[in-house]
Amino acid sequence: MTPTRQSPTRDERQRLILAHPLLFRSGNRQLIKLAAWLAPALIAFCFGFYWLDISWGRVWLGLGRLGEFVSLMLPPTYGDTNAPFDFWRSLSDTTKLWIYLQSLAETLAIAFLGTFIAAVCAIPIGFLAAKNVMANTILHFLTRRFLDTVRTVDTLVWALIWINVVGLGPFAGILAIATSNFGLFGKLYSEAIETADTKPVEGILSTGGSHLHTVRFGLLPQILPIIVSQILYQFESNTRSATIIGIVGAGGIGQHLYEQIKILEWQHVSFLVLLVLAAVMMIDFISVRVRFAIIGIKQGSVAP
Amino acid sequence: MLAIENISRKFGHKQAVSGVHLQIPAGSFIGVIGRSGAGKSTLLRMINRLVEPTEGRILFDGVDITKLSGKALRDWRSDCAMIFQQFNLVGRMDVLTNVLTGRLNKVSALRSLARIWSVDDRIMALSALEQFEIANLAAQRADSLSGGQQQRVAIARALVQEPKIILADEPIASLDPRNTKIVMDALLRINKHFGITVICNLHSLDIARDYCDRLVGMAQGRVVFDDVPAALTAEKSRELYGIEAADVMDTSDAAKGVFGQAMGGSISGLQTSH
Ligand SMILES: Nc1ncnc2c1ncn2[C@@H]1O[C@H](COP(=O)(O)OP(=O)(O)OP(=O)(O)O)[C@@H](O)[C@H]1O
Ligand SMILES: [Mg+2]
Repeated sequence: MTPTRQSPTRDERQRLILAHPLLFRSGNRQLIKLAAWLAPALIAFCFGFYWLDISWGRVWLGLGRLGEFVSLMLPPTYGDTNAPFDFWRSLSDTTKLWIYLQSLAETLAIAFLGTFIAAVCAIPIGFLAAKNVMANTILHFLTRRFLDTVRTVDTLVWALIWINVVGLGPFAGILAIATSNFGLFGKLYSEAIETADTKPVEGILSTGGSHLHTVRFGLLPQILPIIVSQILYQFESNTRSATIIGIVGAGGIGQHLYEQIKILEWQHVSFLVLLVLAAVMMIDFISVRVRFAIIGIKQGSVAP
Repeated sequence: MLAIENISRKFGHKQAVSGVHLQIPAGSFIGVIGRSGAGKSTLLRMINRLVEPTEGRILFDGVDITKLSGKALRDWRSDCAMIFQQFNLVGRMDVLTNVLTGRLNKVSALRSLARIWSVDDRIMALSALEQFEIANLAAQRADSLSGGQQQRVAIARALVQEPKIILADEPIASLDPRNTKIVMDALLRINKHFGITVICNLHSLDIARDYCDRLVGMAQGRVVFDDVPAALTAEKSRELYGIEAADVMDTSDAAKGVFGQAMGGSISGLQTSH
């Protein structure tokens, strides 16, 4: 019978261990390495709590207060909440409902227009920021840093800036979403372009296609599904941002949310929150379908 | 007539191709052989100008194609179609559009970018697919095809370029024996039927012997053999491949290739057929 597993001799073992010392280091090193990574994180965590003066007692007290708020918010409604409160009677007063729905539509419009403008404007800059398309390293570096700067500034800050430039209202909101997303899309596009397969590009080049042809046929089919799903995802996220920037006066439903919190109309607040939630869920529902329709296009066999 | 004159290419300090001279008459079927890293791909890619030569020139019917740029360069590329080991199709697009990209150089920029293809172009593409028996796959996405089918799509794309030369860089290296035969037969057919010059990098000596009318052997960037397949003796191929010789030859019977076989009459060297 021949042995199925080769067993090295003692000498052979020694020789292999000496020849590859790095592969036979003791396991303790791994533990030390892990501790060296974990310890600073743990210290930072504890210090943060200490420094910000967070006491668990206050969390307990606050928890009770939170329960109180929740009870104040129920049931959500858009009508009259004066005592004696009658839920069904309050629903019959629909004047506020129309105002809320209209401003929800405004928020959706702000998010849609902002996302759309950003998605379109970011296309050329996305190519400029991609290493494999932009041969000039200086230009490539500058575009990258420019996009990083735009992206780092939060939508809310852009809203405050644009309100000062174009005044209060939805236009400032659109511009705020467009600017912050422009930076994000530019970066996402350029990364999609950089990770694209180069073989189709070479294939197009070899047939005598122009530079534009390689982009249109070699790159675009690869990056389009990625780009579309990113745009759809951002649209959903921007609906939430558009709600928040409404609070500082950039139009939409956020304005009402802020007002109702100020006048302690908690049942209206909860109704508005539910409204936004429903809108986001609806967008998510639609975007999943659109995404699959685009990614799955012509997949599999088609009858001849 | 393609004349390669003293062509060289350096990658950093690495001399990939050095001082290659070749005269290739129209209508030849040339096999370029040699061990891995010999510079076969680099040589082929320099002819299509996907790689720029560092020295020397390449003349086609008297025109120096190493000096071309812009539209003239794209026209030249369209004249010498390239077939790759990895097919280099656009996977997310359908087969017909992939074949039609072979026409890009010949249609207006606006129409091509909008993917508006003329009926004539579409018929041309379909008939090319039909010749390789894959017209029924025209509407399918290219990445849903098998390797052999994808390579046939690539050959159809090359064909609609209406090229004068076809450059094939190891077109069969990722295919099984049956697809190997289909793809090599397709190249042979293009060569005999349309008179298109074929220059083909090959790993397998047996295939090279069976299909080519002339073999060019490369080693370390230089041409060390240039003759009819029958002249490639066992000794010569051992010289070319060193200790790898046994891997690339089927048996010790290295000199069994017969020139006449290349005409496609009896392709006996292939182990399988359908
Ligand atoms: N883009 C590149 N950058 C740097 N070196 C390269 C490049 N392309 C090829 N080389 C080098 O040039 C030499 C020849 O490569 P080439 O691809 O032409 O060989 P080959 O004969 O086609 O080999 P194989 O049979 O493995 O495909 C190799 O040493 C390779 O490492
Ligand atoms: Mg190669």
